[in-house]
Amino acid sequence: MQELSQTDNINKNIIAFWGYPQKALINEYKTKYPKAKWVDLDIDYKYPDLKFTPDAYCTIIKNICNNAFYLKDRIITVLAPIGKDKCDSAYFISEILKNEGFNVVQCIFEDKCPDISKIKLPISKSNLPLKEKVEIITKNIYEQKDYSYLKETKPSFGFWGVPPNDLDILNLFPNNTELFGWIRAIEAGYPGDWEIETYVDENLPTVFFTQAFCSKTTLAKYLANKYQGLYIDIDAIPSNSAKAKIEAFLKLR
Amino acid sequence: MKIYIDAGTTWTKILKTENDKKEYSIIPTKDLKSLNLKYDKCTGHSLSKDKNIYENEVVALANGAKKYLEDDFIALDLGSRDIKYVQYQNKKFKDMDWNASCASATGATIEMLLKFYNVDVKNLKYNPQKYSVTCGIFGLEKIMDDIAQGVSAETAISKFIHGIAFNAYNFAKNPSKICISGGFCENLCFIESLKQYCEVIPLGRFVLVDGLMANDIKTN
Repeated sequence: MQELSQTDNINKNIIAFWGYPQKALINEYKTKYPKAKWVDLDIDYKYPDLKFTPDAYCTIIKNICNNAFYLKDRIITVLAPIGKDKCDSAYFISEILKNEGFNVVQCIFEDKCPDISKIKLPISKSNLPLKEKVEIITKNIYEQKDYSYLKETKPSFGFWGVPPNDLDILNLFPNNTELFGWIRAIEAGYPGDWEIETYVDENLPTVFFTQAFCSKTTLAKYLANKYQGLYIDIDAIPSNSAKAKIEAFLKLR
Repeated sequence: MKIYIDAGTTWTKILKTENDKKEYSIIPTKDLKSLNLKYDKCTGHSLSKDKNIYENEVVALANGAKKYLEDDFIALDLGSRDIKYVQYQNKKFKDMDWNASCASATGATIEMLLKFYNVDVKNLKYNPQKYSVTCGIFGLEKIMDDIAQGVSAETAISKFIHGIAFNAYNFAKNPSKICISGGFCENLCFIESLKQYCEVIPLGRFVLVDGLMANDIKTN
């Protein structure tokens, strides 16, 4: 499908993406469409549920479908990571979106970090509220602001995983909770780096979180057992028992 | 006087303390509101979670069973609608789980079965056979099938309870020692069934209110 230029259709003003497309690709589209609005399709904007996927399916992929189809008339291009930096479901959805008339640019960002000891993680290690940390990191995929001024804090807990569909679950954690897992790999700039994604501080009580029906559930469970953390998977909205479980873990550890 | 309450789905456990004297009581949770009871600390599914006085149920369980946890028992609470456990290692928290999503293999189901078949819990005896209650609903189907074929309701319910005990043992990751909290402590068929798999100490129904009191004393 031929891409539209910015003046072709006044209604088309969105560059949509999921996961973490390479900076070079993001910058290319920022230059091409300087006035475009950037929309992270992973996030739940409460658009209508189109029931595009089976019910028992990853909520984040459901979000991608619901958001993409709701915004279809306004989307210029979808930047679609499909490698180990995202997941197989993203590959299938990217192909389906192509079939449905979207302009999709598939990308794979599996670069290995050459020296893990040199990565900078000011947001993950800061004293900002955990929810804010996650929001800043995901926004920074396209905003690319400098947060090196943030002070590092001594962590008392760890949170491993991906940004939850319902970010309010993060309000249960104290500010000095350090981020690990895929979200840490995002801040480091290497979303497909196994070593960064699986690293945790073994002395830190850590909650290993995944969305239900995500293939990362196995990794989360494995790491939770290995580091005596709390494994938890949550579907769209956390149940009271899921919240209580996290709360008890934080209090008892 | 200090009052601690554990308001479960069906039953509310109350501990009143004054000058080292303790008074325990149980009332149906549906009657709690009409009592207008003023309490100092609380836990349980049926209360609003005012953070000044509310304690997480697993934390209350851990505090109430601390002595046993530090002796390497798993503390397991099997209530009307949920099941939860805590494990310590080297006197420190190690593991926990809490399943409140399915109540088809918990206390409320047993109470309903006993009422439906008009069976007294005291007449239930341990049965070496068990139904699989990984899903309690399928377990209920087996009870009905067995009874339709002439098995007594007492025997069928005993097999179901054995299944619940086995389920609880698996849920707690097959420990060698369990101390059990909640209404199932008074169900001898359950306790005997659980004893087939591990050492069991029934702690009674007031572990969580004891935990509230212990933590209250510690923090004041």
